[in-house]
Amino acid sequence: MTELLLVKYAEIHLKGLNRPYFQKLLLKRIKETVRPFALNVEFFDSRIFIRGVQDIEAVIERVRKVFGVHAVCAAVEMNKADFGAICTAAAGMMTGLAGTFKVRARRADKRYFIDSPEINTRIGAVILEKNPALVVDVHQPEHVINVEIRDQALLYTREVPGVGGLPSGSSGKAMLMLSGGIDSPVAGYMIAKRGVVLNAVHFFSFPYTGELAREKVLSLARALSEYCGVIKTYIVSFTKLQEAIHVHCPPEYSTLVMRRLMVRITDFLAEREKATALITGESIGQVASQTMEALAVTDRMASRPVFRPLIGFDKIEIIRLAEKIGTYETSSLPYEDCCTVFTPRHPVTRPKLSKVLEAEAAIPELDAMVAVAVETAELLYIGPDKEEDALSGETA
Amino acid sequence: MSDYTVYLDNAATTKPAQAVIDAVAISLRDGFYNPSAIYKPAVAAAKEIENCRMLIMDSLQAEQVVFTSGGTEANNLGILGRLSNSRQGGRVLYSLLEHPSVKSACQVVPEGFEAIGIPIDPSGRVDLHALDDLLTPDIRMVCVMQVNNETGALQPLDEVAQAIKEKAPGVWLHVDGVQGYLRHPIRLKDAGIDSYAFSGHKIHGPKGVGALALGRKNSLKPCLFGGGQESGLRSGTENTPGIAGLMAAVRDFPREHVMRRLKIHLYERLKTAIPALIVNGPDPQSAYACDHIINLSFPPVRAETMLHSLEAKGVYVSHGSACSSRKSRHSDTLKAMGVSQAALEGAIRFSLSPLTTADEIEVAVRATLESFEALKAFTRR
Repeated sequence: MTELLLVKYAEIHLKGLNRPYFQKLLLKRIKETVRPFALNVEFFDSRIFIRGVQDIEAVIERVRKVFGVHAVCAAVEMNKADFGAICTAAAGMMTGLAGTFKVRARRADKRYFIDSPEINTRIGAVILEKNPALVVDVHQPEHVINVEIRDQALLYTREVPGVGGLPSGSSGKAMLMLSGGIDSPVAGYMIAKRGVVLNAVHFFSFPYTGELAREKVLSLARALSEYCGVIKTYIVSFTKLQEAIHVHCPPEYSTLVMRRLMVRITDFLAEREKATALITGESIGQVASQTMEALAVTDRMASRPVFRPLIGFDKIEIIRLAEKIGTYETSSLPYEDCCTVFTPRHPVTRPKLSKVLEAEAAIPELDAMVAVAVETAELLYIGPDKEEDALSGETA
Repeated sequence: MSDYTVYLDNAATTKPAQAVIDAVAISLRDGFYNPSAIYKPAVAAAKEIENCRMLIMDSLQAEQVVFTSGGTEANNLGILGRLSNSRQGGRVLYSLLEHPSVKSACQVVPEGFEAIGIPIDPSGRVDLHALDDLLTPDIRMVCVMQVNNETGALQPLDEVAQAIKEKAPGVWLHVDGVQGYLRHPIRLKDAGIDSYAFSGHKIHGPKGVGALALGRKNSLKPCLFGGGQESGLRSGTENTPGIAGLMAAVRDFPREHVMRRLKIHLYERLKTAIPALIVNGPDPQSAYACDHIINLSFPPVRAETMLHSLEAKGVYVSHGSACSSRKSRHSDTLKAMGVSQAALEGAIRFSLSPLTTADEIEVAVRATLESFEALKAFTRR
């Protein structure tokens, strides 16, 4: 009898002929995420098995966050030939419990000598005999013991829900505009959940923001990487552009021009990364630059789709999601992500494209400045374990 | 980023002197014995502690010295240790510019006591008229710091002691001397001070060690309980390496220095170039301004932006008070002084050490002027 983790996957079951492709990606991601624990991870019979686990809780916590995982079960593995031993082990796992229970058998090996209802009945009988405090309820049981008959017999009572979604890398790549606020990490999470590889882009305005703000963004990227693996993160030095906007553009249009330049730079980086889309945390009407008119004006700077998964969410809903995925606390740290110096008191909410273009045209050498910002962007590799940052430091 | 750094955040902490580092290392390596043990090297370790105690008692004309983990614990012990030894309750006065380790201790005074804040004037000093009105017969303790950590305002301790003597003789005077110790020498008995707290790392000593010096012996109850070290006032095995480092720091602290001249020079250079400069606190030339701290605002440039810009030029200064600047947005002390919003948003503290040189001040002046020139155009519209 050996202990192991059994990983069930989610939507991959719905895939047809390319199912193996998804399975392979999921296996790769799980191997990556448990690498520090040096475990044996293998795929067999539409389940992923992790053997040799010492710190079960730590490994479950990591694996359950991998996109594509439906659930992680702490199971024991036994020889299926000795059915008596299976019954005894099942009864052992139910010791000390009281209330209602059921046995849920799954006979994947159809040659097994008894069928699933029969397995349920026989094991249930042994459990009842050993533990009189339990009664059977097959509809709404308080405790469930699962028995899977495959190459071996697998028994488990504990099933930790995973985050679902599709394995990272199965749906291409997108550039996440990561500000340090509450919304953008959630937006990144939602798109990454659909199997999209994330690259992050952060606009840094030293000295208007400092080291702490930068660290904050990196820890948000690190939190996201727990779900989707290493995130290539670009830090774009934005100070010169921000100062130029301040000097040359009408204050009410400055935020919009800034947003457009950010999208433009991100789009250039997307080109370099061969990414197919941009991701932002915008939601209609949240601030002046997120009215429908403003979004229409910023959208024009991108030559590929801009995904806005939070577009119809209220702030409170976004906060709840941020809490759930574990980015809220970091996002709420007080370091200003974009100094208020550059926030106009009365930004335009219904911008006219002609005015925006006029404002931009007033900035001398704009194209050159944008090119420099793209060229000098700093590139970091942010993963859940800091050792993975080793590749960082090169410029783009 | 610059390779050359100018450290002007000495009110936050100071660089340990080489003699301090050596003394700590020697104590760790050769003098690691428990000073309570009875074999020879342990007795030597105990003797080292007593030597440091004598040195500090001598430097302050104190009756008793209790080693602590630093300024915060010394302030807590001075206030709470005294009040819990008091037979009758009453009121405790503390100035509104006290460090959080004093203010917070005053928030948790034992039952029967009540803490009341003493207002401060616009120059950042205790309002003596207000104190006079507050000194009623039920006052048991007055807490006023020696030098304010944010503005560098020297507090009128002589006048405070005099007022106590006249209106409420016998009232305990606790002084937080963390910024003042050795920089502005003081004699506890002459000054009418009953307890005086200070910290090692503000005088080029190690972190994690400090002391409470007492003007009256045997007048406290402990706040930490255990093996009865430090005459029962502070249980816990003595921090021998910390105390050895503290001793070296006290012994070697430069008694002669030109901090005041350099500070005034810094101010005058900046003031000439930037007429809008605001001093938060006393006039830097006045007798009420300490030697090593000056708090300035450069409207319209915000403090955070200025700090980062100076950092990029290798000059390290701070924003408000380093103890709390990562949490609260604006300094309570400056607010209590009635400082304007613009000045609050731009307040920067420069704090010197006796080792600061004229060249370093020159670098700081140039960096500040360059930063101001580059940043002044960018104000919110």
